[in-house]
Amino acid sequence: MPYASSEKKPALIWLQGVTCNGNSHSFLNLPYLPQLLEKYEIIYHPLLEGTSTLHELVLNKAECDVLIFEGAYDPLMKRHNVSLKDIVTHYAGLAKYIIAAGSCASFGGMFKASAPERNTGLILNESEPQGPLLVIKQKVINLSGCPIHPEWLGFTLTMIADNREIPVDELNRPIELYSRLAHHGCTRNEYFEWKVDSKAFGLKEGCLFYEQGCRGPMTHASCNHILWNEVNSKTRAGTPCFGCTEPDFPRKNLFTTKTNMSIPVDIPVGISKRSYLALAGVAKTFHIKRLEGKLIDEKRNN
Amino acid sequence: MTKKEIIDHIEGEASISFDLNEDNHVDFATIVFPHFRGMEAILKGKPALDALVITPRVCGICGHAHLMATVRALESAYANAGLEITISQKAESTRELTLALEIIQNHFKWIYLVIMPELRKLVKSDEIAPVLKGAFAASIATKALAIFAGQWPHSSYMVPGGVTCDITHVERIKAEGYIDELIRFFEKDSLGMDMETFLSFETCNEFSSLDSDIGEIEKMLKEANMHTLGFAHDRFITLGKHSFTQIAKGIQTRLTPIEHKFVSTEKAYSPTDMSYAKNALYKDTYYEAGPLSRAMANQVPLIKNIHRRFKDSAYSRVIARIHETAYLLRHVKNLVQTLDLSEPSVIPPIDIDTLSGEGVGIVEAPRGPLIHRVKIEKGVIQEYEIITPTQWNIGCSTKDKLTPAQVAMKGNSISDSLFIFRTFDVCSVCTTH
Amino acid sequence: MSRKPKEERRDNIISSALKLFSERGFHITTIPDIAEKVGMSVGNFYNYFKSKDILAKELVVYISTYLGDEIAKINDQKISTKEKVSAIVKMYFKMAREDPEKIEYFLRVYLSNREVFGGGGCDGMLCVSPFVTELMIFFDDGVEQGNLRNQDFFSAFGLFMGYLGGMVFLFGEKILPKPLNEYEESISENIYNALRVQ
Repeated sequence: MPYASSEKKPALIWLQGVTCNGNSHSFLNLPYLPQLLEKYEIIYHPLLEGTSTLHELVLNKAECDVLIFEGAYDPLMKRHNVSLKDIVTHYAGLAKYIIAAGSCASFGGMFKASAPERNTGLILNESEPQGPLLVIKQKVINLSGCPIHPEWLGFTLTMIADNREIPVDELNRPIELYSRLAHHGCTRNEYFEWKVDSKAFGLKEGCLFYEQGCRGPMTHASCNHILWNEVNSKTRAGTPCFGCTEPDFPRKNLFTTKTNMSIPVDIPVGISKRSYLALAGVAKTFHIKRLEGKLIDEKRNN
Repeated sequence: MTKKEIIDHIEGEASISFDLNEDNHVDFATIVFPHFRGMEAILKGKPALDALVITPRVCGICGHAHLMATVRALESAYANAGLEITISQKAESTRELTLALEIIQNHFKWIYLVIMPELRKLVKSDEIAPVLKGAFAASIATKALAIFAGQWPHSSYMVPGGVTCDITHVERIKAEGYIDELIRFFEKDSLGMDMETFLSFETCNEFSSLDSDIGEIEKMLKEANMHTLGFAHDRFITLGKHSFTQIAKGIQTRLTPIEHKFVSTEKAYSPTDMSYAKNALYKDTYYEAGPLSRAMANQVPLIKNIHRRFKDSAYSRVIARIHETAYLLRHVKNLVQTLDLSEPSVIPPIDIDTLSGEGVGIVEAPRGPLIHRVKIEKGVIQEYEIITPTQWNIGCSTKDKLTPAQVAMKGNSISDSLFIFRTFDVCSVCTTH
Repeated sequence: MSRKPKEERRDNIISSALKLFSERGFHITTIPDIAEKVGMSVGNFYNYFKSKDILAKELVVYISTYLGDEIAKINDQKISTKEKVSAIVKMYFKMAREDPEKIEYFLRVYLSNREVFGGGGCDGMLCVSPFVTELMIFFDDGVEQGNLRNQDFFSAFGLFMGYLGGMVFLFGEKILPKPLNEYEESISENIYNALRVQ
C-alpha cells in the first residue's frame, strides 16, 4: 500500500565511502526524479540539499529510515573528521532498509583496489560474505553496477516507499533487475546466434563476445532492456560489456576475450561447455553471406 | 585566530583552515583534501586498454574527460613510437561533441545545484532554488551524449584509432533533437532569452534585460559584491587542443603560446592534517584554469569586456561559465549537423601489445586542463600520471606564493570566501584521485 | 535395454554400406547392392534412407558420433594431458585396425568427394560436429591446465588430425613396414611435444 499523504515520509540518508560519485550523478538522470523525491524526506545527499548538514549528520543527530551507501567501505575512513565506521553502524542500526548503491558498495568494486586488505562492500568482499553490515544482511539490498542505472535505484526506492516486497538473489540483488543478462536485447544478437564475430571496433556488424571481450552473456544486468539514458547501451554503441554488475569487476584485459586455442574460456551463464561448443564450434564454420557483409549495404542490387 | 570549515557538495570533501586577522577577514587559508584512492597506483601493471575503463572512474561528473585524456595519451604513445595511428574527422568530431556535452551537463549542475543556492544564502534570500532544473538539463545533455557513447556516466567508447559507435542518420537526427530540446529549455527556463541573442552580448549591462534564473544570478552576484572580490593572479592557462579552444597562457589579456612539457606538480602545503592534493604549475608559476581561462584565450568579446571592468573576480568566473554553456551548446549542435557518417569510426592501429613508449593526452575538462601521462612496455602500463584542473585552481601553498584559490579568498569574510571557493567549481575526487 | 529391430536394421545397413564402399568403391556401389547385402527390398531400404546422398551424410554423422563418444570417454578420465594424447592415438589406430571401413570412409569418401557433401547437408563442420566438439574440449582442458600451448585452434587441430589421418592412409596403402600399433608411442610423443607448453 502506498504511503498516504498524511503519513510521515521516510527519511533518506545518502552516505559515501571510497567513491567517484558516479552513482550520485547517475541517479540525477532519473526521468521521474522530482516525483520520487516527493516520496522521501532527504536528510542528506552529496549533491542535493538535505534537511541536515554533514556536520549534524556525523553527530548522529538525524533520523534514518532508508540508508543509501555509495562507494567501497574503508574502516579507517573519516567523514567530517568522524569515523565512517561509527556513522555507518549508527544509521544502519536505525534504518529499515540499506541500499548499497553501486559495485563498490556491493562487492568492493573498483575501489577495493585502493586498499585491498581492508576495503570491502557492505556485506560482500567480492563474492565472499564479509563486511560491516554482514550481521544485518537481511536489511541490505545490493544494487551492483558501475555506476548504477538510475532506474534501478528509482525502482528500489519506489517499491520501498510503496511498502512492497523486493525479492533478492543470492548476492542480495533484486531479482526483477538482475535476472536478465546484459546480453538480452543487444542489437547484435543475430551475430551471436551465428557466431559471426566483429572484425574490429567501430563496426555495427558482428558480435563482440568472440574477440572483443564482451561479458554480456555472463553478466546479470538489464542494460539492454532498460536502456541507458533511455536511449542506448554499451554494446549497442559497439563497446563490450565489462561485467560491472558482477563481483569480479574490474577484471583484466577488458577489451579482449580470453581463449584457449580460439575457444572462449568463459561461456554464457548456466550452459555446459560441451553443449556450447557443439553448437558454437559448428556454427563458426558456416559462411552466411548476409551476416558477413555490411548491414546497410548501399551498393546492394535489389 | 583560526577557524576550520569543512565543505561538502564539492564532489567530495575539503577542509579549509582560515587564519583570520583582527576584523575577522581571511589572512591566509590552508586547503586540505582528506580522501585518497590511489588511481595512479591502481593503473600500474594493467594492460594499456584497461585504462579506458579505469580512468573514467576517477570522477563521476567528468569521467568522460578522463576517457578522452586516456585515449589521447595512448594514441600519443603510438605516434611517439613511430607507429601508424590516425583517426577520421568523424571520430574526432564525435569525441569533441560528447566531451562538450559533458562540460555542458557539468555547468548546468553547478549553476543550479551549487551557485544559485549558495548565492541566495549569501544575499539572504528565502526563496528555494529550483535545483532540479539543473538535474533535468544535465539529463538531456547526457541523453544526447549517450546516443554516441552508449551511456553516461562511465562510457568507454573511445579506443585508439577512433570511437566504437557506428551510427546512421537516425541516431544523428535523434541526438540533434535532444540538443535542440536542451537549447529550448535553456532559452525558456533558464536564460529567458533567445540563445543567439545572449551569445551576442558585448557588455555585462545587457544582463539587466534578463528576467530569468541567469538574470537573477547576475543581479545577486553584484548584490554580494562579487565583482569586487575573489581576484586571483589574473593569469590563465588553457592546454587542451579542441575545436572550441585556443591553447595559450594569458597574463591579464596578453596571450602567449605554451608547451605542456613545462607543466609540473608539487605536494600541496599542509602543515597539520594529511592532504592528498597536489599543486599544478607552469614554469614554476600558478595559473587559473577553466571557463574564464578558455574564454580569455578565445578572446570572447563579452568576457574580455567584463574582464576589463572586473578583472578575474568571482563575478567574471561565474559569468564565464554561464557563457561557456551557451557557447558550447551552439558548437555541439554544429558538430552534430556536420558529421560525415561515411567516414570510418575506427582506423585500427597495430596491436597494442607491441607498443612500448611514452605518451601524453591533454583535454579541457569542465574545470580546466586535464593531463594524462603514460609509460607503456609491450602493452602494459608501467607508470601513469594524472594532473587535474582542480590542482591548478585549488592548490595549497605557503604565504609567499599563493595559489589562485588562496589569493581569491584572502581579505574576505569567511562566508564570502566560501562562496568564492565554490566559484572555481571544485572537484575533490579529481584533486586527490 | 533391448534394441528395437528397426534400430538393428539401421545399424546393419550402415555397416553393410561401409563394407561395400570399402570393397568396391563409393561411386560403384548402388542402393540395390546394399539392400541385397542386408537382405531387404529396395523399397524398404528407402524407408530408412531416402537417397544415397542422404545415406552418405548420415554415415559421416554416425562415424563422427562414434569417434566423439570415444574421445569423450577419454576426456572425462582423470589422467594427464599427455596420457590423453596417447589414449586418443591408441583409440584411433585401434579403429583403423579393427573397423577399417569407418576411417576409410572418412578419409577416402568424405574428404575426397566434397561435391557430395556440400550444399546445405554438411555445410562447414556440421556433420563432423560431435567429433570436433570433443577435440575442442580436449584442447580447452589442456590449455586450462597449463599443459598445452595456447595457439589457434586450427593450427593445433590440423597437426593432431592431419598426422593421424596421414598415418592411417599410409597404413591403408600397406606402405608401413611395421604394424600400426608399433607406431603409437612415437606418434603420441611427437604430437604431445609439438603441442605442449615449452
